[in-house]
Amino acid sequence: MSQALNTNQLPTWCPGCGAFVVGAAIKNAITNKKLQPKNVVICYDIGCSGNMANLIDVCGFATLHGRSIPVACGVKKARPELTVIAQAGDGGLLNEGLNHFVHAARRNDRITLILNNNQIFGLTAGQQSSATPQNAISRATGRINETAPLSAVDLAVASGAKFIARVPETDLKLMQEIIQQAIVFEGFALVEIIQPCKIWARDFKKTEFRKITKPFKRKTDLIGQNNLIGLLYWEK
Amino acid sequence: MNNKVLAIKICAPAGSGVMQISELLCAVLNEAGFYSLAYPEYPSRIRGGDNNVQILISDRPELAPQNKVDVLFLLDENLRNDHLKDIKNNGQIFSTATAKIDALSEVKQNPFVKNTALAGYIWKTLGQDLAILTQQIEKKFRHKHLVENLNAAKQGYDLASKIAEYVLRGVKEKIINATGNKIMADFAVKAGCEYASIYPMTPITGLLSHLSKKIETITPEDEIFAALSTVGAAYAGKRALTATSGGGFCLMSEAIGLAGMAEIPFVVILGQRPGPSSGIPTYSAQADLNFAINVGQGEFPKIILAPGDLEETAKLTLDAFNLADIYQIPVIILTDKYLSENRFSLLQKTIEKIKIKIDRGKRFSANQKNYAHYQLTKDGVSPRAFPGETTFLTNSYEHDEKGFSTDNVEIRNKMMAKRMKKTNGLKGGFEIFGDKTSPTAIIGWGSTKTQILPLLERNTKYKYIHIWRVWPFPIELKRELKNIKKAIVIENNFSGQMAKIIQNETGVSVKAITKDDGRPFFQEELNKLIKQNL
Repeated sequence: MSQALNTNQLPTWCPGCGAFVVGAAIKNAITNKKLQPKNVVICYDIGCSGNMANLIDVCGFATLHGRSIPVACGVKKARPELTVIAQAGDGGLLNEGLNHFVHAARRNDRITLILNNNQIFGLTAGQQSSATPQNAISRATGRINETAPLSAVDLAVASGAKFIARVPETDLKLMQEIIQQAIVFEGFALVEIIQPCKIWARDFKKTEFRKITKPFKRKTDLIGQNNLIGLLYWEK
Repeated sequence: MNNKVLAIKICAPAGSGVMQISELLCAVLNEAGFYSLAYPEYPSRIRGGDNNVQILISDRPELAPQNKVDVLFLLDENLRNDHLKDIKNNGQIFSTATAKIDALSEVKQNPFVKNTALAGYIWKTLGQDLAILTQQIEKKFRHKHLVENLNAAKQGYDLASKIAEYVLRGVKEKIINATGNKIMADFAVKAGCEYASIYPMTPITGLLSHLSKKIETITPEDEIFAALSTVGAAYAGKRALTATSGGGFCLMSEAIGLAGMAEIPFVVILGQRPGPSSGIPTYSAQADLNFAINVGQGEFPKIILAPGDLEETAKLTLDAFNLADIYQIPVIILTDKYLSENRFSLLQKTIEKIKIKIDRGKRFSANQKNYAHYQLTKDGVSPRAFPGETTFLTNSYEHDEKGFSTDNVEIRNKMMAKRMKKTNGLKGGFEIFGDKTSPTAIIGWGSTKTQILPLLERNTKYKYIHIWRVWPFPIELKRELKNIKKAIVIENNFSGQMAKIIQNETGVSVKAITKDDGRPFFQEELNKLIKQNL
């Protein structure tokens, strides 16, 4: 793992959190692509995974809950030569800032969106989010979640995204390969990382993933297939 | 009738081209050497209803709308009864039906040029030369329907007869006209603004149209994106702008707080209109002063500028970008429907001589090692780096000098003090007109300047204090108010927001004269109010 992009700060994450893997994958991808850290801007959401802002030595910007996308889009519009990444959790992307996600994909804003999907509101202690699986019991409320979750991949398809990928937290190699492709992609790129919270989502039913090796030709075929992982769709 | 000012009003259903006539008439009036003011009133609809515009014509620059006009022109007979009250005792009324403009051959053939025929008719009434009108029509309609418009103007002109008492003589110097929105757009571009994201909303929509011809603009999904992408563009090193009205400003609160905490230069234009909520959307107000001052959670420094006329609008638009860069804070330009959408006039040289000075503030230098975004300095302002120059952290959480998140007591206290002292050195913020030694004072802020100044021409015994920087409050005002026996504050809101701020900040008791019905203080009305209260 690349040491060059480390700061002197300690992570605030719980042991076993998927965010450690995601942080490593982002740093490796930047290093492998030989990007100068000062030319990389990462806009962070608020929440557990957003605390990554303190840990990667690039031009980091800890923004607001649900608002990493608008800030990132402004940066990219102003300075197209910079590599711009927006990070968001499922609360920030599928609850608070959903509007921006749909529109950035529609406009094909040239940013990479990294979604840390831990399936729950983590930092506020376990309330259900729009990504919480149906019938799961959220520990904060003790209630069964009666509603089906929103799929970021399905929304990206419907909104016209040109690069769509889903990766589990357990596959660092695949994650960094896909992030590497995403950050040099000339268009809106979604990389969803499934990293169920080790504290609040540990009782949720585990998804059995199926890795695909070739992206889909027709993106609408993706809809509803929430167990697929890999680069799912890519429009050159 | 006031011999020096002629007021006319043109009324028509929306979609009849009333705004077009007012634009055309202002252009020809300026060309003929007159100052002009076009004050539009319109409902929130696209077709039908009652759109009207009052046009003031004079050989002197200070002009403000009147309750009653000298001549009323109607494009629709149905509007007659509603507007009879708007005419002075010795005034006149014309309609396109009774004046037989509707029967002109060009109008019958092409009803869409009825407005231009009326412009021709009015122009003759004023005893002016057809050639000036023809010239402006050739300029305005060079791409579309030129022949039809020229014919209509000539036929309308020939139909009218001049009314001797309305024949005015203009001045020699070159006069131009513009709306506040146009001037803000022009001077934002002159200030080096390269990015604007604006969600359409009356009264600042005009800004978007002007800016989109010159720089990168985005009409986004909402005002949240508009404001936050502006923060992003400014963070990245470009000068950027957003604009909205009160409703959109509600959604922008979080972005303004972010700019305050993360120390990003952020320029927003807030065009006020009567609230609360959807209110009276196409009218004017000055009721968002408290809202602008208090926007966002927590405490952070901000500057609020409130221009009163076109020249000041130009200067303060330039200042806004410089101040935002110098202090790395949010700067709000407080305008309103009256200033943004009225078509004012002024000498061309007044605008041309405004100096364009660009100050980007303290900047990162390449030989600086171990750069810290939030370095503690004597004046609280840290040198600013752009992405691409070095790595650095920008943070909406409380942070240390390097930008790392922290809840450390000592650092928190230092950082609050650092941010809050940034604007301490600001001076001035107001201008005094009239009799500077007078014991009675009229105080105003923002767009009421154009309503109060014409009054001073007739009555010079008052001291008039116009506040153009409403926040941080211009504390030097305290000295100015020391020897004042009686002071009134004229403002377009219900509760007298500025009057309360003045009392709070200076300890001097002032009386608020307020009006909150969406309309400005009309000349006759303001005259009376001042006589009653001073």
